[in-house]
Amino acid sequence: MKFQLIFPKWRKLEGQTTFNLPPHGAAVFAATIPEHIEVEFIDENLEEMRFDDDVDFVGISMLLTTQIKRGWAIADEYRKRGKKVIFGGISTMLHAEETMLHADSVFLGEAEGHMEQVFADFKNGVLKKVYNHMNDLPPIEIVGPARREIYKRDLYYHKGVQMLDLFHASRGCKFSCYPCAVSYLGGRRFRPRPIDKSIEELEMIENNRLFIVDNSLAQDTQWEKDLFREMIPLKKKWCSHTIEDKPEVLDLAAQAGAWYVYQAVFDTSDYIRRRVKQYHDYGIGVEGTILLGLDNQTEDDIKRLIDFLLEIDLDLAEFTILAPFPHTKAHNDLIKQDRIFNKNWDDYNAGQVVYQPKHMSPERLQELYQYAWDAFYKDETQEEKMFKLLKKVVSREIDDGTFRKRRKDLSKTSFGRNVNYKIA
Amino acid sequence: METNVSNYQNQTYHFKGLWDLPSICGLKIVKKQNETVVIATDLFDDNPGTSITEWNTKLIKEICDNNNINYYEVIYIEHTPNKKTKLSFNQESFYQVEFDIVDDKFDNPKWKELTKDQVDKLITI
Repeated sequence: MKFQLIFPKWRKLEGQTTFNLPPHGAAVFAATIPEHIEVEFIDENLEEMRFDDDVDFVGISMLLTTQIKRGWAIADEYRKRGKKVIFGGISTMLHAEETMLHADSVFLGEAEGHMEQVFADFKNGVLKKVYNHMNDLPPIEIVGPARREIYKRDLYYHKGVQMLDLFHASRGCKFSCYPCAVSYLGGRRFRPRPIDKSIEELEMIENNRLFIVDNSLAQDTQWEKDLFREMIPLKKKWCSHTIEDKPEVLDLAAQAGAWYVYQAVFDTSDYIRRRVKQYHDYGIGVEGTILLGLDNQTEDDIKRLIDFLLEIDLDLAEFTILAPFPHTKAHNDLIKQDRIFNKNWDDYNAGQVVYQPKHMSPERLQELYQYAWDAFYKDETQEEKMFKLLKKVVSREIDDGTFRKRRKDLSKTSFGRNVNYKIA
Repeated sequence: METNVSNYQNQTYHFKGLWDLPSICGLKIVKKQNETVVIATDLFDDNPGTSITEWNTKLIKEICDNNNINYYEVIYIEHTPNKKTKLSFNQESFYQVEFDIVDDKFDNPKWKELTKDQVDKLITI
């Protein structure tokens, strides 16, 4: 049986450097599919769709809200051709009821342990409209290595440099942050993978540079320290979301190859200033993630915040506008206050204002978002700052013998497409 | 002034939320002569499932059915307690929710913010 697994494309944010990383959810899902099924993966961000391929069953893996309308359109095309389509993934769970209108089946929850049944049902012509496993999370021990061999590897290179591979060491989150739906998606209990399983998977990844995509590694100090300690011999270099700022954790993280971490910057406090310095003291870079448009932010607050970011010497900054994703407190609050004026999911890309901000007009918030990017990258562009971070990791790789030269055969392509060099 | 949460909830109510997720909220029911005030309190991190706001059309019907409350005589209030952070969007709020009732189903919720004083008056017998 041939199963075509699709990762739909989405509209990228204007003015920002686009990097296409190999999609993680699709590869984690593919690992749960019975081995006798042939899986063909299409990342539509990098490849054209092939609706007329000879396939038996189609899966659509959806990560982002801004991706779902394209996912629905793809499903409609396949279903016109008589193919059965199943949806899964994070944004399928966030938008399940709407997605059901375009699906033969939707899978809700985590796939491990359930795909034998789904494929048997498909084969027997009794595919269910919904496989609801939201309240039936698998034991974390059975989460296996992602099936990364589904990727067409050469597509994930930019001018010969391989993009990071994605990896996860845990699921669930004990925090319920205002704009985040992770606790709805993965449960409110932090579920770390056993260290040996994580290390086993890390050893299998033929890429020295990783993005550890866990929502937050800062949830269990002992586990975090154990994980980093075991990672040291692997000599990987990685970025991740928040890690704890305890000296013993930072020391182990640095030894384990921490390259840079994402740090939410929500105010101009000494706490943030100190935290960024602490990371830097251990040789770990910091990319600030700055959410604009919260109800406690006036125009002056936003401008002061941007000045502060320049003062504290962040390596990179990523600005986003609050997007009220379903199943978040942000969404509930704005719905109650009747402040959401745009319900076109294509625009829920965290770069477009879709609600009435409390202290300014939507247009003004949109301008301030652009101002934030422009002001932060005024003296040094995003690409230049990224290059500085890259140089740091290259120098560490040269020191520990893990540096790989760029691939010459792909030096004139970027994500599978020819690069047009501009001649001055 | 900080609210004594127990003023607005005297039981933990268990319900099946979206996709049958086991869910909980605080609940207080005050029966008066011609109306019944129902306050559902969001329990945030302690709630493993669906929020009261997402599930309000189903939740109010279930509470009315289980407590013999006339659909047309209920005043339904969603209470969000203070999350004890310095962020303004985590402060306490009360919203009265009005619904259309069609074929014994609650639909089309509309929220109106209430002050704590207004809520206190409503629950005073």
